[in-house]
Amino acid sequence: MSLKYITPAERFKKYLPKDYVELVDYGPFGKTQEEAGPGNMGQFKELVEEHPMCSGCWMAYYIRLIFASLPNPEDTVTLGTAGCGRLAISQAAVPFIYGNYGDQNAMASGLTRAFRLRFPDKTKDVITIAGDGGTMDIGFSMTMHSWIRGEKFTTIMLDNEVYGNTGGQSSGMSPKGAVLKMAPKGKDFGKMPATELARAAGCVYTVRMSPTNIKKAAKIIRRAIFVAREVGPTFIHAYTSCNIEYSIPTHEVFADAKAQEKDRFTFEEYMTDEAKEVIERVEAEEKAARMARKAQKTEAVN
Amino acid sequence: MYYVAKVNADMCAEYKCNTCTLYCPEANTLMFDKSGNTSWVDVDRCKGCALCVYVCTDMLNRDCITMEMPNVEAV
Ligand SMILES: Cc1ncc(C[n+]2csc(CCOP(=O)(O)OP(=O)(O)O)c2C)c(N)n1
Ligand code: SF4
Ligand code: SF4
Ligand code: SF4
Ligand SMILES: [Mg+2]
Repeated sequence: MSLKYITPAERFKKYLPKDYVELVDYGPFGKTQEEAGPGNMGQFKELVEEHPMCSGCWMAYYIRLIFASLPNPEDTVTLGTAGCGRLAISQAAVPFIYGNYGDQNAMASGLTRAFRLRFPDKTKDVITIAGDGGTMDIGFSMTMHSWIRGEKFTTIMLDNEVYGNTGGQSSGMSPKGAVLKMAPKGKDFGKMPATELARAAGCVYTVRMSPTNIKKAAKIIRRAIFVAREVGPTFIHAYTSCNIEYSIPTHEVFADAKAQEKDRFTFEEYMTDEAKEVIERVEAEEKAARMARKAQKTEAVN
Repeated sequence: MYYVAKVNADMCAEYKCNTCTLYCPEANTLMFDKSGNTSWVDVDRCKGCALCVYVCTDMLNRDCITMEMPNVEAV
């Protein structure tokens, strides 16, 4: 997709749905992060539309943040699988591909390769966004093999430590002892070491975090995307609680995410030397562009 | 209907803050009006979670948001 593709002819606008027109006029396409990014959500039309995820769902919040952080929304494709997250991801103004359960990283491998063959001069970002069950249980082999093959795209795991969408079965990512509706005796083994597995399989950039700090979480999402473009597979393991299955009162969801930052989701960032080079270069370029825009603005005022 | 968030615009405008709008789980729901320096709620989209109340009251100690029953007309 490109910006041109979504822009309607002026005379045709009045026949289009309001949300669509708002997206064209006030959306983030073609804009900088300062104009329409995570720091000013609530002041532009966001890519994510109304969706049926539960009230107060922290996973819905993180999905909102992912879409606001995209460096290149008009040339991005997301892939997902069954689970709560896809209910919102599929409502965003970014092409979304939904296959059989757990095959998102296999599909993304083919798509990434096809894009590079078909559009060699263009940057197209491919991101898989799936739950802990979809990524580490049922989709495990396809996740691991995409990393082992060194496929250049980003994998984001929305870890709510349960199968939320199907009513509370334990997953490989549920913590030891977790008592869930369909694990009434408590889970009897611990969380799978997701980021360690990712590194062993060849991911060149991995992060584990509880996304409570918007600026930091957005920076990580962008880093994972930039590195995947050039170096290899990248992986973000994010805590995105399920207030329903873990009985967290909705107004305490943020406090719970902060508590998890000190517990199972302490911040951990790993990058290879090559990944580090890309991050340093891109962030220096972004900073220079920001400064140039600022200087231009002050000049215009004076 | 159910309780939804309501921003006290006069109180909120004193802070020029835009923090709650960043943490609402719903996109295009808790908005910020830059000219009036106040956040506002699209009641049709608010799911009543009160996460914004946690941000304004518990985190920032400001109490500008309350959960209230909206006036809805029967159709
Ligand atoms: C092949 C297949 N098996 C089972 C299911 C049923 N199913 C739907 S979502 C889901 C698990 C979701 O768990 P997770 O990936 O952690 O996502 P969450 O809903 O917790 O975000 C399952 C087992 C399915 N859709 N397809
Ligand atoms: S079931 Fe849990 S993860 Fe799924 S939408 Fe509801 S709160 Fe979010
Ligand atoms: S957090 Fe409170 S003071 Fe800040 S914008 Fe929201 S309502 Fe206003
Ligand atoms: S109550 Fe929840 S959904 Fe409604 S505006 Fe506040 S944070 Fe958003
Ligand atoms: Mg899950």
